Amino acid sequence: MHRNARAALLPFLAAVAFACSKAAAPPPSPSPYAPPPTTMAAVRVVDVEVGRAVDMDKRISDKTDSFKPMETIYASVTTEGSSPGATLAAHWTYQDGQVVKHDETSVAPSGTAHTEFHISKPGGWPEGDYKVEVMLNGASAGTKSFKVSK
Amino acid sequence: MGIFGKDDKDKNQPQTNFSDVQSGKPRPDFSDVQGGSSSTAPRPGQGGPAATAAPMNTYVVVKGDSLSKIAQRAYGDGNKWRKIYEANKDVIKDPDLIYPGQSLRIPE
Repeated sequence: MHRNARAALLPFLAAVAFACSKAAAPPPSPSPYAPPPTTMAAVRVVDVEVGRAVDMDKRISDKTDSFKPMETIYASVTTEGSSPGATLAAHWTYQDGQVVKHDETSVAPSGTAHTEFHISKPGGWPEGDYKVEVMLNGASAGTKSFKVSK
Repeated sequence: MGIFGKDDKDKNQPQTNFSDVQSGKPRPDFSDVQGGSSSTAPRPGQGGPAATAAPMNTYVVVKGDSLSKIAQRAYGDGNKWRKIYEANKDVIKDPDLIYPGQSLRIPE
């Protein structure tokens, strides 16, 4: 009987303890001197294209998803937003995921920006299906597939 | 033919690693792949454009282009057309004649 009464009181005691702890540690009030939130999240990838060449603005000037073995392969990443420092990466893979190349670059864009990544293979690309996955600050932000054939 | 016959046949097969044997498919070697990147955005802490891992960009000529027009867009100075010409002497015989579809290297 005593055990039952104690069990019935437990939720009440827990609620009192929670209320006391809340009263003891009120949430901090917003400070007018708090640092502004980071602007990193403002940058986002809006487009990824692949092709055989880029122009001076780092945009694809010869768009294709089908390459010859001796061609250089370009991926152009369009971002929008501003950041004091963001990391863009291109993760190139072959067929079932075999890593071809991984490149990273740090950028501090303010507004629309274009970043190109390129790969070449002096001995020629093996035929097959490839993929480039673009990552922004470590998170996947877009993928493009392409193939190499003779 | 070797003692067991099969040995000689295997010598002619491409070299494979352990993972090749597991998957049953030869895996291509990508160790010689070259790559790089460049951006219109500056690097963090810098005011100028991001440094590029590639010394040159590639530009494909379109109808109406001339070396001075390309130089104007690339460097903001059409008089620097010779820089592009010098970098592409193997494909440009006459600097007044470039053709749509030609792929030109644009020095940084």
